[in-house]
Amino acid sequence: MSEEQPQQSAAPAKAARGQEGGGKAAAGAAPAAGRAAANKQPPAPDPRVLAAKEQAERLHQAVADRFGPEAVLESGAAHHKPMLRIARERWLDAVNYLRTHPDWRLNYVECMAGTDYEDRIEVVLFVQSTELGHFVCLKTQTPRDEAWLPSLVSVYPGVNWEEREIYDLLGVDFRGHPDLRRIMLDDDFVGHPLRKDYSVWAETERPLVDGQRP
Amino acid sequence: MALLDEANQVRTEEMLLNVGPQHPSTHGVFRLLVKISGETILDADPVIGYLHRGTEKLAEDLQYTQIIPYTDRLDYLAAMLNNYAFCHTVEEALDIQVPERAEYLRVILMEMQRIASHLLFIGTYLLDLGAMSPFLYVFQERERIVQLFNEISGARMTYNFMRIGGVKYDAPPGWLDKVRAFVPFMREKIKMYDSLITGNEIFLDRTRGVGVYDAETALAYGMSGINLRSTGFDWDLRRKKPYSIYDRFDFAVPLGQHGDCFDRYYLHLLEMGESLKIVEQALEQIPDTGPVLGKVPRLIRIPAGEYYSGIEGARGELGFFIVSDGKDKPYRLKIRKPSFVNLQLLPQLLRGQNIANLIAILGAVDIVLGEVDA
Repeated sequence: MSEEQPQQSAAPAKAARGQEGGGKAAAGAAPAAGRAAANKQPPAPDPRVLAAKEQAERLHQAVADRFGPEAVLESGAAHHKPMLRIARERWLDAVNYLRTHPDWRLNYVECMAGTDYEDRIEVVLFVQSTELGHFVCLKTQTPRDEAWLPSLVSVYPGVNWEEREIYDLLGVDFRGHPDLRRIMLDDDFVGHPLRKDYSVWAETERPLVDGQRP
Repeated sequence: MALLDEANQVRTEEMLLNVGPQHPSTHGVFRLLVKISGETILDADPVIGYLHRGTEKLAEDLQYTQIIPYTDRLDYLAAMLNNYAFCHTVEEALDIQVPERAEYLRVILMEMQRIASHLLFIGTYLLDLGAMSPFLYVFQERERIVQLFNEISGARMTYNFMRIGGVKYDAPPGWLDKVRAFVPFMREKIKMYDSLITGNEIFLDRTRGVGVYDAETALAYGMSGINLRSTGFDWDLRRKKPYSIYDRFDFAVPLGQHGDCFDRYYLHLLEMGESLKIVEQALEQIPDTGPVLGKVPRLIRIPAGEYYSGIEGARGELGFFIVSDGKDKPYRLKIRKPSFVNLQLLPQLLRGQNIANLIAILGAVDIVLGEVDA
């Protein structure tokens, strides 16, 4: 705002970024909010978001250079954190690469979460480097009806239970997981409650086994 | 049948031992299937989920303010910290400014809560190891804290006190003075515990060199809090990613050296002293008057997007991950539960240990099943 002179040249770029952000919101988290975002004037970009996007760009470069451009589906910002969406075929390799890469060294997983977006299931990994201070959000996605992802347990042993939880509650099959069982719910539970089409009444719809509800 | 095997050892058979779910030393409903041979643990399989209430699923049908009481019931020994962690995530998402006095009240409450939680850890841990009286002792001090919380929030355990943008009530008259009087009282008590427990030879024998792991393992397993710091790795979110007003206080982050159960016990004791320091400084700096609730829209809607933020809870990094689609309810709420993550290393720690060490190792992880199962 204070830079009067370069504003003319910077304005289209900023607008383009704003558009990009709006487009991402529509495609990503909220199908419903897309229209509202398109109508509204994009607000002045937050420097924290811009910094995150810039870092995400570098992440994108690093992964695309190593695994080819089709390995990265998208890069942007998740709130104030750099975000990178990786194709599920490359998920394990790319995450492992970023863990060992001297520029990134993402060695400490903070949080892993799965979300059902009705057209896909997304898994988010908030991971950081305790040495270099990076804090990034890595994502991957899988179709709902054939939900599988490569397991990260060989890379981060700490996601073992998180993956079991995602398997339990969202029904994602983590291939290569050493011990993929339900963790929160009963072993004979039917369905995956955090899926958006899960009905809490499904219990009464379960088939009878020996004349009893299992 | 020969009593001795080829190696001239007493012949043993593998046996499956079921610990819990209803067992006093499992701190709730936690089941551990242990495979033992003689007195040596061959393998252990933790079974959790007995207390699973589906908080994450329930939250999808609740407005943001309605979720706060549900967070009380996660880690029910540190409800203030849970309250704060959730409110903090929403405030970060909306860039809400919290009034000064509310920030200070929050810090005072959070650190007092940390002390109460650590006290209970010390009591239950000693109880697990066979010392009955410390458990009764710690409840005296905890009672003072709970009384103070009762006075300000009206509840003894599930406070539901933090609000998005501040706290529910201002401190009643005289409350801050009572907290001020509590600080030296508690300091004396910490000294007392130190002299009663830390040098106790039986306690040292049971905990020194037991359940050892290094920083690399702890990081790979995503551990946090005292479980990580006991290995000597300096990682406290109050320092590393300062939230609230923690950058204004002078306090140390105690670190362990050996990564054993004794270090984990001792860090709890030392952290209580550091928390007292923070409370003391906050009491000095807190403004005398002022609002305790910031400007917050009546109906809270978070712009579409994904938000994660974590705080240093009593047991490690407590985080909330919110996916919003722009409505007044979260599309998805994920809780990063420190004791859930910390518990994962347990089978590896138990393998090859003597059965008597099982309770010592499990107790030092400091789990609360309400949080593990959520």
